[in-house]
Amino acid sequence: MATHEILAATNAVVTLDVALPGIVWPWLVTVNMWAKSIGTGVIFMLFLLIKKYPNQVGNLRFQVTVVSIVFIHIFLLFTLADLHQPFRMWHIFFYPNVTSAIAVGAWMATAFVGLLFLLAFLSFVKKNDVAFDKTLAWVVALAIPVTLYTAGLMSQCTARELWQMPTESAQMIFAALLSGSAFMILVFGNKLDWEVNKSLSRILALSAFISFILYMSEYVFGPMKAEELAAVLEYIKGDGEYAVMFWIGQWMAYLLPIFFIVLSRINKSKPILKFAAILALVGLWIVKHVWLMIPQLLPMS
Amino acid sequence: MQLGFLVDLHLCMGCKGCEIACKVENEVPLSTWRLRVKYVDVGTFPETKRTFTPLRCNHCENAPCERICPVSALHYLDNGIVNIDKERCIGCAGCVMACPYGAIYIDPQTQTADKCTYCAHRVASSMMPACVVACPVQANIFGDLDDVNSNISKYIMKNQANVAVRKPEKGTNPHHFYVGGGNINLNPLASHRVDGHSLFNKITTLPVGGHH
Repeated sequence: MATHEILAATNAVVTLDVALPGIVWPWLVTVNMWAKSIGTGVIFMLFLLIKKYPNQVGNLRFQVTVVSIVFIHIFLLFTLADLHQPFRMWHIFFYPNVTSAIAVGAWMATAFVGLLFLLAFLSFVKKNDVAFDKTLAWVVALAIPVTLYTAGLMSQCTARELWQMPTESAQMIFAALLSGSAFMILVFGNKLDWEVNKSLSRILALSAFISFILYMSEYVFGPMKAEELAAVLEYIKGDGEYAVMFWIGQWMAYLLPIFFIVLSRINKSKPILKFAAILALVGLWIVKHVWLMIPQLLPMS
Repeated sequence: MQLGFLVDLHLCMGCKGCEIACKVENEVPLSTWRLRVKYVDVGTFPETKRTFTPLRCNHCENAPCERICPVSALHYLDNGIVNIDKERCIGCAGCVMACPYGAIYIDPQTQTADKCTYCAHRVASSMMPACVVACPVQANIFGDLDDVNSNISKYIMKNQANVAVRKPEKGTNPHHFYVGGGNINLNPLASHRVDGHSLFNKITTLPVGGHH
């Protein structure tokens, strides 16, 4: 980063290069992770519905597949938009470095998109539910590493002590379960029986609860692990730059949805449940954004 | 052959000659740097002193940037240099995020990652890196770490108790050493520059080069 002053006497600009921290991965990467969570999460939920409530699924096979295709493409679009040389994206396929989570993730995401289109073909053109359900099992198996590879990528950012593979993996999986169940409740909840909505809300509440525990564990115990981590977490504590946003995210994504889910079950109210789902989806974006930003504020040199 | 760098901080006087030589040799754009001499002021007036620490890519033996690069734009040369192929780079900035030393930047002109290459192009022509040539006090010592008779190897052996690397806990095995380095100048969390107390007054901040 450069800093400068203008000297009145000479009108000269004095320039000094100094290293200051800057945001390298911006909000585009937040959208990337958020959209991927929904894209894989709804596939997990569809698999669950087919196994547990086969008579409720109806034409959800095709509709959920389309939702997944849309959100995975949002994920891919924002990944591309974040590249400084987007027209060189093809290098990943022709010069891949297999130790890179980015390269491995790109290959898996591509295969995932191919399988999603196969699912759409089986449900919309062939109308073959048996073949769809068999293929879906493979898609679910692939959706897990597609969800997790971003955790691998973040853990390869060894400079950012906050992002560790074990916790990031758990956070990614629970983010997918949370956003998948929330999206199903929000968009398809009216088509599904109250029992199905209850099951989805149970997944949403449990995912929110476990995710909240994970974040609080880092918040409280993280500073004991490493000096860098302690410094990073200062940004979400006290007067920290992201403290307010962090807590807004935690309340919106996790605590309030749990409260409204309990309330909806007491009142058997789908609108309250939908409100909890909206909070969870919006809150998840905020939570992910804060977690992406704070390690980037730390000076590295 | 494993090329490495050693900076004797007892000798460095903060002239920034190496910084300028690097900028000129490699045409490093404004708002980015491959080599920076970090100033840290220590103490309370009148008992104060200023430390100078040249910071550049550490050419790690276990380089996180090489590992995370999806297209192998960052790669090892046989002589241990971690080099970059700007034509292959897709600008994902993964390397910038992975480097524990903040040594990699996105070049605002080419929109690709860039960093110190130990002047690999000069080394290939049997010349010393530009910063080594420019240093008036020979504080920068460059050579083959595998050769026990090289200047750098002798220097490391002679100063064994006083040789340090940046962030050894990261397990990157840097090929860049400091003699006389301590927590104050090698740990970025050990010091901070208070706003309004800089080399120049009335400082305004420009955007970081190459970022979105």
